Amino acid sequence: MDLIISLTVNGLATGMLIFLLAAGLTLIFGLMSVLNFAHGGLFIWGAYTGVWSFQMTGSFIVGIIVAIITGLLLGLVTERLIIRPVYGNHIQQILITLGFMLVLQEFIKVVFGPDQKAVFPPEILQGSFLVGDIVLIKYRLFIIAVGLLIFIVSSFILKRTRVGLIVRAGVMNKEMVQSLGINIKLVFMLVFMVGAGLAALSGIMHAVYSGVIYAEMGLEFSILAFIVVVIGGMGSFSGSLFAAILVGLAQAFMAYYVPALSLAVNMLLMTVVLIFRPQGLFGKE
Amino acid sequence: MNIRRMEKSTWIFIIISLLLFIVPFIVTGRSMQFTIIQIFIFAIFAMSYDILLGFTGIISFGHVMFFGIGAYSTAVIMDRMDATVMSFFVAILIAVFIAVIVSFIVGVLTLRLKSHFYAMLTLALAGLFLVAAEKWRSLTGGNDGFTFRLPEILRDSHNLYMLCLVSLLLFFFGLRRFTKSPFGRVLMAIRENEARTESLGYKVLHYKVIASVVAGVVASIAGVLYALSLRFVNTGVFATDLTIDVLLMTIIGGVGTLVGPILGAGLVEFAHHWLSGLSDVHWIFDRWIILYGTVYILVVIFFPLGIVGTIQSKLTNRPVKGLQDNRKAVGK
Amino acid sequence: MSSSLLKLDQVEAYIQKFHILQGVSFEVEKGGVTVLLGRNGAGKTTTLRTIMGLNQVGKGTITFNGENIGDLQTHQIANKGIGYVPEDQGVFGDLTVGENMRVAMKKEDEETTRRMEWVLELFPDLKKFWKKPGGALSGGQKQMLAIARAYVNENELLLIDEPSKGLAPIIVDKVTESIEQMKENTTILLVEQNFMMASKIGNQFFIIDDGKTVHKGQMEELKQDKVLMKKYLGIA
Ligand SMILES: Nc1ncnc2c1ncn2[C@@H]1O[C@H](COP(=O)(O)OP(=O)(O)O)[C@@H](O)[C@H]1O
Ligand SMILES: [Mg+2]
Repeated sequence: MDLIISLTVNGLATGMLIFLLAAGLTLIFGLMSVLNFAHGGLFIWGAYTGVWSFQMTGSFIVGIIVAIITGLLLGLVTERLIIRPVYGNHIQQILITLGFMLVLQEFIKVVFGPDQKAVFPPEILQGSFLVGDIVLIKYRLFIIAVGLLIFIVSSFILKRTRVGLIVRAGVMNKEMVQSLGINIKLVFMLVFMVGAGLAALSGIMHAVYSGVIYAEMGLEFSILAFIVVVIGGMGSFSGSLFAAILVGLAQAFMAYYVPALSLAVNMLLMTVVLIFRPQGLFGKE
Repeated sequence: MNIRRMEKSTWIFIIISLLLFIVPFIVTGRSMQFTIIQIFIFAIFAMSYDILLGFTGIISFGHVMFFGIGAYSTAVIMDRMDATVMSFFVAILIAVFIAVIVSFIVGVLTLRLKSHFYAMLTLALAGLFLVAAEKWRSLTGGNDGFTFRLPEILRDSHNLYMLCLVSLLLFFFGLRRFTKSPFGRVLMAIRENEARTESLGYKVLHYKVIASVVAGVVASIAGVLYALSLRFVNTGVFATDLTIDVLLMTIIGGVGTLVGPILGAGLVEFAHHWLSGLSDVHWIFDRWIILYGTVYILVVIFFPLGIVGTIQSKLTNRPVKGLQDNRKAVGK
Repeated sequence: MSSSLLKLDQVEAYIQKFHILQGVSFEVEKGGVTVLLGRNGAGKTTTLRTIMGLNQVGKGTITFNGENIGDLQTHQIANKGIGYVPEDQGVFGDLTVGENMRVAMKKEDEETTRRMEWVLELFPDLKKFWKKPGGALSGGQKQMLAIARAYVNENELLLIDEPSKGLAPIIVDKVTESIEQMKENTTILLVEQNFMMASKIGNQFFIIDDGKTVHKGQMEELKQDKVLMKKYLGIA
């Protein structure tokens, strides 16, 4: 029983981390139908700048803020320089964002050096709680809390505020939104920045979770996010959360019970979904 | 084939090919010869990619997995079996066999998806191959890789040169016929307008799967030759960097032209050769991916026809489809 | 009545490579309803879309309140005070009626609230189905929602594209009546195939044929002119 609870917490934590990354991806895809392959590059920049400022100042909060700001700014640059020239041409978009991903990854090595770096959680989040016989690692609980918070806040914004309504209306009918006097390009840019900010946030969160950062981590981890987005249904926020938790749990349990399969389990999940429900669990036809 | 009926371009290609056979007698520098061999190998790889991107309009980010399959098949077989020419043929057969199986399964499962999904899934799959190669150390030697022995005849760099050149020529003329065949025309129709091709009664999925099997097999042969030329293999043969390399070669040369990717391979490999020489000058040249990535991005935005595509459109005075999107445009 | 609110001068427009509008010129005067007539495929929808900046102006000029709006972007044009009710209504299907209205409302001031109340009184159905998703509304209700969305902001001009299309006669009457009420304080440019409706509320008319304006006049005259009606509208 204790084991199951602790594996579940692990799985939830991993799931929430993946969700944070997938959330930005799915948001950008859902609104702008841009599949941003550079997303992992934004993630890694969030991780490095966040860790750097965390270690410089000793404050994890500062680290998180710096990571998010980096994400927002890089999102702005990416949207302007990389995405905007090729709006409406999927082939160019796909090709170009992958290229930018690798450039972002290599620039990490230029700025921060090519070697991997160790990261430790802030003191307040080190250690664990003991509830009965169950050990709950603080940082994992923290991740779950942040993930839930982001999910709730974004759902609230999307469902309840006018900005959120505009964003959702933009998905359905871009021209009509413009005809109502709304600058959809600006909205797109902001959405892109928010998506990038989320990627960067998950970067710093993941850095502290895994205890080590290296440049290739972005691409590796974003593949998990891709899988989640496919399983959940492209563009569906709740679908991403559900699929992320599913993948997180599957990984945690597989890693413990059938370690040899833990690697393939995500691909397996995705393959099954693709065969039986190509639009994803929560996706619309 | 009736000689008089051959096109002018075919003659040009034959003359260039003959010239290439003389090159190793003129260029005797080892490192230069090696670079040229690499060009041949990557030209094959890039042509196989052109079948997907240029002729069928499929964007795969996982094409490198076939290259890796070829490289590892060769390395593992040569390592486990006797270093004979026979083993080498076995290696080729196994490479082709695995490539066919993998490309077929992946194609059937995923090619009916939209381009985004396909690109994403193939990237994920290639990632899986990379991780698997890193984890399955007993077979692959992991990131450190391993060296293996070759029969005498294949160790000679002169022979290697000829082998790679002959392969390149075979694949070039073979793929050229393939793309000009009725089958190739259907592929191009799919690229232009998938829905319309389907409505004309062609089973688009069948055609796409076959195209990706062909591309997969050719890429695996490129991988075989790559391992052969290095006498060494490591997980780098599955790396995304290679994907970006081959994308750059194909696009800079000109998608949908076959000649373009060869030219692109030449340019990129020479740049590689030259830049790695510069890494002693400044460490920034170690980070050549930044340069490649930037050039690649600029080419995709501003020069989507590539070199050969641009020349063709100038010569024939008609628009050539570069990286155009045949699906419904979303943005303004 | 010489003060023209909207003026198109020899406007041409392309959709992809097709030359759809080949010289559309007309003026909409302040107040009243101007009707654009013409058979199917004549270019009426394209004209409205071009005014809204959803199609690019190839040649010619479009002036609104004396200002050239031909080069502006759609949202800028809308914010000059033009409301648009597209042919397909453009209702956001996943958003409720209330949310549809909220997206449309640029301000939440007294004036907007007043207009909102007025328009809800005009279309009580909207109030009734306030929480229903737009996609679940009937055709008539969608039309009312689309009109309400365009009206709720203080727009000087409303462009309405075939509001009677696909509606039952009794609903058409309702919509006709509502437009008649709106015309009291807003200028309306109406595209309409339903001649009954057009002649009831229209003041002046223009006929578009093959992407060109070919005729103009007062609605009253057109009703008498059987030849013209047959030639361009196919109505005997
Ligand atoms: N997306 C499009 N692509 C090509 N032609 C179009 C497109 N939209 C409209 N057209 C053509 O433009 C012409 C005018 O259409 P439209 O403005 O919708 O006419 P109306 O509203 O008067 O019925 C028609 O001939 C139509 O076929
Ligand atoms: Mg119309």
